[in-house]
This record gives sequence, structure tokens and C-alpha cells, in this order.
Amino acid sequence: MNLTRPAILLLLLPALLLVGLVFLLPIAGVLSLSVHGEAGFTLEPLRELFGSKVALLVLERTFTLALSVTAICLALGYPAALFMSGLSSRARAWVTYLILLPFWISILIRTYTWIVILGREGIVNRGLAAVGAEPLQILYTDVAVRIGMVQILLPIVILACLASMLDIDRDLVKAARVLGASRWAAFRKVFLPLSLSGVATGGIICFILCLGFYVTPALLGGRRSTIIANLIDIQVHRTLNWGFAAVLASALLVSTLACLGIFRLLTRRRAGFAAAGFGK
Amino acid sequence: MRLALGLYFALIVAFLILPLLFLVPISLTESQFLEFPPQTLSLRWYAAFFEDPTWVSAALLSFRVGIGATLLSLVAGTLASIALVRAEFPGRSLLNAIFIAPLILPTVVLALALYIVFLRWRLVDNVWALTVAHAIVAMPYVVLLVSANLRRFDVTIERAARVLGAGPVRAFMLVTLPFLTPSLFAAGVLAFFASFDELIITLFVSGGAQTLPVRIWNDLGLKLDPTVPAVAVMLTAVSIVGMGIGETIRRRNERRYQSETSTET
Repeated sequence: MNLTRPAILLLLLPALLLVGLVFLLPIAGVLSLSVHGEAGFTLEPLRELFGSKVALLVLERTFTLALSVTAICLALGYPAALFMSGLSSRARAWVTYLILLPFWISILIRTYTWIVILGREGIVNRGLAAVGAEPLQILYTDVAVRIGMVQILLPIVILACLASMLDIDRDLVKAARVLGASRWAAFRKVFLPLSLSGVATGGIICFILCLGFYVTPALLGGRRSTIIANLIDIQVHRTLNWGFAAVLASALLVSTLACLGIFRLLTRRRAGFAAAGFGK
Repeated sequence: MRLALGLYFALIVAFLILPLLFLVPISLTESQFLEFPPQTLSLRWYAAFFEDPTWVSAALLSFRVGIGATLLSLVAGTLASIALVRAEFPGRSLLNAIFIAPLILPTVVLALALYIVFLRWRLVDNVWALTVAHAIVAMPYVVLLVSANLRRFDVTIERAARVLGAGPVRAFMLVTLPFLTPSLFAAGVLAFFASFDELIITLFVSGGAQTLPVRIWNDLGLKLDPTVPAVAVMLTAVSIVGMGIGETIRRRNERRYQSETSTET
């Protein structure tokens, strides 16, 4: 099946045109807008970014939010994946459908349900009122944003953890047990370290996706929940400060690529480690 | 221990799915407001959707853009997958990464970028431009699914067709394409929903035109009446049916090709 050069080019052409014109070119435009002023190359927008208290605050908030959501997802998702890894493959397929079901439903709608549930007149507060408790202000706080984001991202983290758990040779755990390790020790010293690659994959993907969230903070958060994507929107549609929006977008893009780069570095080292043989 | 994990897992599944189930009773209320549980049941808000021309035209626009973006991303993505899987050329893995990148890079960056170039090219508020922009978001799914499936295809079958006198295009059309059809269908379903759900890019580049997500988004800012839950329930039903059809076809095909290879060996 040897394809000739013109054939390869012809096959790639539509996708290249699409990606080039409405992906690479526009993104390059944003990047250049953030280092380009009227008089050519300038670092003015970058200076503006680091001089702006709001921007730094929002950046810091974005990273803390992403970190905390990722941590919650991993803590909730790992045991769930552990349960799934112990099921028969038939049962696991069904359970995977359940986990993936929300995936097929628009993020907008999934976020909207939390307004209905957590709102002042929402289901949670009705329940609390019925038992005579004080109503809780959850909606329009950071707590609501975290709940909404965890619900959206949890399936991804669970499936990433599950994938690495299924790759583990169960005989290794058995060997540890036979050699006298307790259940807990076998888990901690054999199973857990071997499943960490999935934890890393799930964690990094979750973190990257968190950085770019827009809908959930906008709908469920309060005025203090604005993160970088919302700030970009505000700069474009309200303040009309495009240069600044472009710098913010570039910062977001560079952070995302940096995370991906770190991830690739880690996985490559891991692969090299595995190739060099265990226990070295 | 097992039992505890099982209970825990049930809780997680409840957390993922239960909120969506609340939408059904809420959408069936007679009242003007979101109430749970509803006092009297009615289909009033479902009717309200079909009676409001702005909702209907938003749905039609979403279908139009979605179908266009699906076709565009299917053609471009499938052709590219063939080259990516079957040929060796410099920069192949980089190209693969670029095709998949829109899936993982923050959508808001792409939205801003597209807004800036569309303004320059006078393409804001242009349905075709919106369709092309959606195709970019949809194409990663096509490339991922189709190249995964192409990699599993036994090339000797196609080679046999070539030996028996079929030209390269004819051999591909008659031998490989039927094998790919289910994955093309699954990719198409995913691509369609990627476009159908797209909000952020549309908010930036559509000018004033409203797709369904944009219409919902605008409604959320104004009032909270039960039309949105009604729309949500209908959309969810459509998604589940789409997923079901895609999955059934995928499974049937898998069984067919598996049984064929097993009789071979």
C-alpha cells in the first residue's frame, strides 16, 4: 500500500486547508497580536499583563481552581476506577456506559441542572427547609463551580485511571500476596505504583481542560469566580480591549502547551524506565 | 471492602446521572417557575418550544450547521486519516497532533482567534464560516476514530482486490470503505454532537445568529422558566438515541468482522 507523494498530499489537502485557515493561522494571529504593537515588535502587552492586578489575580485563581478540581477528581475517581477494574469485562462495559452517559449531554445543560438543584429555591434548599434547616447559599459561589466542574470532568479521570489499572498484570499482585504481603501492602507497593501512569494522564488532561473552562464558572460562580476564559470574554465583549484579550489568550495557550510538554517528558522518562527493566 | 467500594461507586454514578434525571419532572410542570416536585403535570413547556419561532429557528440553524460541519469534517478527516495511517512522511506525528489539538486546547482561545480573523475577512455572522469553524472542533473525533479503525484493517484484503485488477480508488471504495462505514457513522455522530453542543466559538463569531446552545445561553441570562428544562430533556433524548444507534452499529460490525477472522484461522 505505498502511496505516492502527490497522493499523500492530495489526501491531506482538505484537512490541511481546514486546519491551516481556521486553526493555525488564527492562533498564530493571536500570539503575534500579543507581542506586536503599531510600531512592530513590542513587549508592551506582556508588561500590561504583569502590571495588571486583575489579570494576575484571575490567573492565580484559574490555577488554584484547576488544581483543586483535579485533586478532587483524582481522589473521587481513583476508587471508582478501582471498583471497575475488579468487575468482569461484561459488567465493566455496562458500567462504562453509565459513566459515559453524561458525556453525551451538553455541558451547558449539565451545568444548568446545578442551578436547578443548588439555587436558593432549588431542590437542596427545599429539602433543607422541609426538615427545618437554614437554607444554604451554594449557587454563585466557588463551591458550586467546583461541583459543576467535577461532575463534568470525573468520567475522564475515572476512565484514564481505569485504563492503566487494566494494563497491570494481576499476577504481580498475587505474587506479592504469596510472598507474604498483606492485602494493603500488596496494593500500596505493587498495584498503586503501577497505576500511577493513569493517574498522571487523567490528572494532566483534567488540569488542562480546567484551565479553559468558561461555561461553568460563568453560570454557577459569583462575581469572584471569574477565571481566565471569562476574563477574555469580558475584554472582547465589554471592555473592547483586544490586545489585552490576546495576551490573556496567549498566556492560557502557553500554559496549556507547557502542561502537555511536561506530561510528554514524564511519560517518555517512564517509558525509558520501563524499557530499562524493572527494579533498576 | 468490595461492598464498600460498590456502594461508593453507586454514589459516584448517582452524582454523575441523578442531576439530569431531575430535569424530567421539572420540565413537566404547569407552573411558570421551576418547581420540584411539580404540582400539576403538563406538556405546556414542550409546546412553548415549538410555538416560539426563535427556539425553532435556533434548532434549525443548529441542525444546518451541525450537518455541514459533520460532512466537512468527515471528508477532510477520513482522507487525512488514510494518509496518516498508511504513509510514512516527515512530520507525520506532528500533523496528527495538530489535527487532534482542537480537542484539548482551550476553546476560548480559538474563539478569540477566529473572531479576530473573521472580522478581518468580513465573515462574522456568516453561516458558512460558522460551519467551517465548527468543522475544526468536530474533525479531531473523525481523525481519532477513523485512524484507529484503519490501523486494525488487514491491508492484504485490499491488496487482494488490487491483484484481481481493481484500481487503487476502486479497491478502496469496494473493500476498505465498507469496513470503515460503521466507524464513519460513529465518527459522524460524535462530530455532529461536537458541533451541535458548541457554544463558545458560536458566541464569538456568529454575530447575532442563535444556535440552540446560544439560545439557551441567552435565555439563562434573562429568566428561568421551564422551557430550558424541556429543551434539555429533548436534547438529551436525541443524544441518547444517537449514541445508541452508533454503539449498536459499532458492535454489530465488530461481531461480523470478528466472526469472519475467526473462521479464517
